[in-house]
Amino acid sequence: MKKPAKTKTITSALWSLRFKLNGKKVSTKVPPTQTLLDFLRLELGLTGTKGACLEGECGSCYVLVDGKPMNSCLMLAPQAQDCNVTTIEGLAQNKKLDVIQQKFIDCGAVQCGYCTPGLILAAKALLTETPHPTREEFLVGMEGNICRCTGYNKILRACEQAADEMGLKKK
Amino acid sequence: MSRPTDDTLEESAARLHVTSKSSGAYETGPMKVVGKSALRLDAVGKATGATKYGQDLFDKKFLFAKVLRSAHPHAEILGIDAGAAKKLPGVVAVLTHKDVPGTNLHGLIRRDQEVLCSKKVRYRGDAVAVVVAKTEEIAVAALEKIQVDYRPLPSVLTMEDALKVDAPKIHAEGNVLGEKHLRRGDAPRAMREADVVVEDTIQTQTVDHAFLDLEAGRARYDGKMLTIEVSGQWLHEERRLIALALGLPLEKLRIIQPATGGAFGGREDISIQIYLGAAALKLKGKMICLRYSRSESTIVRHKRHPIRVHYKLGAKKDGTLVAAQITFYVDKGAYASTGIAVMRKASSHATGPYKVPNVWVDVLGVFTNNNPCGAMRGFGAAQTAIAYEGLMDRLATKLGMDKAELRRKNLVKSGDEVTTGQVVPYATAVECFDAVLKRIDWKNRSYETPAPHLKRGYGISIVCFGLGYGDGFPDASRARCRLTPDGILEVYSGACDVGQGLINMIAQIAAEEVGVPLEKVRPILSDTALTPESGSSSATRQTYFTGSAVHIAASELKKQLQDIAASHLQELVYEIKIENGVAFNIHRPEKRLTLKEIARVGKKRGFSLEAMGVYKPPTMPENTQTGQSMRAFVTYLFGSHACQLLVDTETGEVKIERYIACHDVGKAINPDQVIGQIQGGVAQGIGMALMEEVVMKDGKIMNPGFTDYILPTIRDVPEIECIVMENPDPGGPFGARGVGEPPLIGTGPAILSAIYDAIGTPIRELPATPERVWRALLDH
Repeated sequence: MKKPAKTKTITSALWSLRFKLNGKKVSTKVPPTQTLLDFLRLELGLTGTKGACLEGECGSCYVLVDGKPMNSCLMLAPQAQDCNVTTIEGLAQNKKLDVIQQKFIDCGAVQCGYCTPGLILAAKALLTETPHPTREEFLVGMEGNICRCTGYNKILRACEQAADEMGLKKK
Repeated sequence: MSRPTDDTLEESAARLHVTSKSSGAYETGPMKVVGKSALRLDAVGKATGATKYGQDLFDKKFLFAKVLRSAHPHAEILGIDAGAAKKLPGVVAVLTHKDVPGTNLHGLIRRDQEVLCSKKVRYRGDAVAVVVAKTEEIAVAALEKIQVDYRPLPSVLTMEDALKVDAPKIHAEGNVLGEKHLRRGDAPRAMREADVVVEDTIQTQTVDHAFLDLEAGRARYDGKMLTIEVSGQWLHEERRLIALALGLPLEKLRIIQPATGGAFGGREDISIQIYLGAAALKLKGKMICLRYSRSESTIVRHKRHPIRVHYKLGAKKDGTLVAAQITFYVDKGAYASTGIAVMRKASSHATGPYKVPNVWVDVLGVFTNNNPCGAMRGFGAAQTAIAYEGLMDRLATKLGMDKAELRRKNLVKSGDEVTTGQVVPYATAVECFDAVLKRIDWKNRSYETPAPHLKRGYGISIVCFGLGYGDGFPDASRARCRLTPDGILEVYSGACDVGQGLINMIAQIAAEEVGVPLEKVRPILSDTALTPESGSSSATRQTYFTGSAVHIAASELKKQLQDIAASHLQELVYEIKIENGVAFNIHRPEKRLTLKEIARVGKKRGFSLEAMGVYKPPTMPENTQTGQSMRAFVTYLFGSHACQLLVDTETGEVKIERYIACHDVGKAINPDQVIGQIQGGVAQGIGMALMEEVVMKDGKIMNPGFTDYILPTIRDVPEIECIVMENPDPGGPFGARGVGEPPLIGTGPAILSAIYDAIGTPIRELPATPERVWRALLDH
């Protein structure tokens, strides 16, 4: 651990943090001002969560906190205390891609790919809560994410196809 | 909704069959890989979060750099005192211009920008110092401790002010970057003789690329090699510029491209690479990281030029165009960047797809203390298209003519000359235009709306776009194909995949040509130590140029493989075919060799098992007086858009109801990716037309973040119906042309044309925000 700087600031005191990350318990100490995004990426090396606007406008940094999509750039790491956090790395189960991931690939909804993890998690949250969303519900669920490459058409199609497939599986 | 979003593969294939011109040279038989929507080779890594972008290469044990930016839009630097910053615990080094060992200059066309400013700052994004520290927080704290003694100079923020006789000079040579002219026929005289004349002034806005993946990367100098891992769009040119600026021999500099989250022209100018390089040279052996915040990225990076266009168009009573007189005033911002090329693109595309016998164009590029402007998807042609289509609408109104009929009458056809005097042998503007008119059912369009305060409008646009750098600028791509001992076809190219799908384009062309399944191809891209130079990922050129180079290299390698197979099997070489990774005699298929066997046999016999391909079609420089060039561009791209929308006359809001885009891509190497490019380009065009605007005040960007810089979301982009037309181009790989920029170019004018149709008054200043539309209605 690095030496505390001479001028003592609030960041020099570490807070303890316990939460569940992608199904595994994590117990650690974090600077109280560190964002969840930086904590995941720099401390834990989980770089699948992307930072892009860093002010909660683009959804690239979405993680699921107790199933809800949250901008991890706006959330401080200590706020994850006792929560169940899922990142894009935790979505595939036993090396099998989640159906939403598979549909994004199949439908050509991935271009530069920087928005993709956030969008997939937005869709995951939406489809977990609403297995048969209407077009309007899709738009509500996905409008927090910016994609600069695809024009969204294929993203919407991927999500709708994933919804269909998830619906079929339930029967 | 029952309407198709875009065309399924089957639909595309069926239509392509109908629209393709039958040309003997391209009857290559059914293709196995090219023309198929193979899944993206990089998609799984991106969808699982495994792919590493620049910022994903960081580690806490590396050093972090931060850049000190100018505090003024225009000031002299009297002195820099970094003493206090250097003393801060954790600070490893502070660099100023004195620590840059080379010319300290960079710039894509003109080397006019200092890496670290020594005497003067010209905009608020200018770099003055670089701090390297143990953590990013310490580096940020150290920036505040650097004392820069500035003498503020009066800033020049508008083109009018910049052109005043007594205006402060931003550069030693003055405030004019340069001029471009085009003289074709006698436009003033033809204008006097025209039956009808329309004219208007249109102002486009400053637009930001807003790619999501912020500039980030790392560098290390081990004493022998400076290795920089940062995303760009043309690694080999970046290597040249960095080597000059840092005084490093070329062979001691290696640039590697991490995965790249969008570019759109925004990574053409040098960014963090050069600071990282300077810092790494100073701190031998240390890995140094650097990333921009969103606001720093926005404040520093060049933008799409705001252009004021004065456009005068004359026609006969029957609608035949006779004259165009056009003046472009281009706000360059503080540095040249690619501005002069953007200005030329504006002038060479001044009348777009329309035949006008008499055209005079003047373009003036003016320096200000605003953000430098440079490359962005569309590159001067996007602003120009908004002007010429706007004027065509105005002309149709004045003539009382259907705007589609007026356009169709004046479109360039095969064998016609465009504004530069270049003959376009294969023009498909009419075909594209007819396809969208048919799809939207132009003759039966309905203006009935659900409520009286809603007005419907229909807009159309046509694109004619010169591909590649053009005008004699050296433009070449190289590629190398190699068969590995385990029978894998490796394809090496220095081209950058910035999200557009270049990896698949290259792999599919190589697979098709050699005759191997796609999974046996391994593309190796964008590393100056491994890959040959393939030019920039810009100007819609990579499919045409690098695709061709790959095609040539693959074809050369295939000949070698056929030779090896023929001599080993003791068969005639022209009877050897390679299919699905197996070479065999066409008459005796049992006489066969797999690629792995060919690799083994070939190696024994001393074959190289690799081949190089170079593609360098020539263009010719323009006559500087007349702007004429017999071969300004290697080829032209055509497309057409139609848009149906509703304007809420109470709020000024615009809702796009239907959008159709047709592009002639020559041959879709991967149709799904082509559609992705079209839909993405249209989405960016919607942003430019309706919402995106960088607001500058006193040389400062007032909205350097996504909270205030409004980008299209999933709610703003309707279903984009794509019509992919395939009329093969003789110069492209398998007839392919390219598709990157034209979809954006067509969108702005189509939307503005539809708004004009709905409200009867033009929007002269972009973007057409609800407020501007509402005000236009008030003034109407």
